[in-house]
Amino acid sequence: MTEPVLLILTSLADQPRHGYALLKDIESLSGGRVRMSTGTLFGALPRLLEDGWIERFELEDTSRQKQAYRLTAFGRRQLQQELDRMKQLTRAGFARLRAGEAI
Amino acid sequence: MKRAYRFLLLLYPREHRDRFAGEMIRVFEEASGERRARGRAWFVRFAFAEIHGLIAGAAGAWFDRGDAPSAPEQVLPGDLAEAQRLVDMNIAGMVHAIANHQFEKARVFSYQERQAREKLCMLRQKYNDEYGMPC
Repeated sequence: MTEPVLLILTSLADQPRHGYALLKDIESLSGGRVRMSTGTLFGALPRLLEDGWIERFELEDTSRQKQAYRLTAFGRRQLQQELDRMKQLTRAGFARLRAGEAI
Repeated sequence: MKRAYRFLLLLYPREHRDRFAGEMIRVFEEASGERRARGRAWFVRFAFAEIHGLIAGAAGAWFDRGDAPSAPEQVLPGDLAEAQRLVDMNIAGMVHAIANHQFEKARVFSYQERQAREKLCMLRQKYNDEYGMPC
């Protein structure tokens, strides 16, 4: 899973968001490190839609921005698996660092 | 900048533009307003990132296109479908050339794309703009 995809899925994990809200949230999630361009965002979204990880729907408010995205149950499972994998790797990485320091 | 953004959106395959261009422009406008308010340096960095993101995104969209449904092309009359194919092919060539820093080659594709688009516009007029966007 690429970093933009991971960030998009994580951003959608707690609530649906429209395009600009996704960009803002990703910047905040990454502590200002990732400022995703619209090209990157709309490069990843069609693929995620096609794979059934997210879905697009119309927001029922009166703002200009009406299209929003939310995680599907399948997308949620994929994100969960990826985070579990990262947790396992992080744990193993820290264990090795500690072992290296002890020598 | 907005005009340049709209122009660069032409690098994307038609089906991507039909589905996402309006939304991309709206998101770009919001992001651009916010970056402009942060100052000139922020905006310049943002503009470069956007241009780079659009070119890379367009290249990716063309590569992903293999799986995309081709229903709109199937219902077009033969001459119109062929003209559209030539425009798409030249845009794809231009994106690939820009991505590989072959700017002379990109200029040739750009020239050919302009000619192909003119022909496409004439054909669309012939069919009374019944298929796709008017020129």
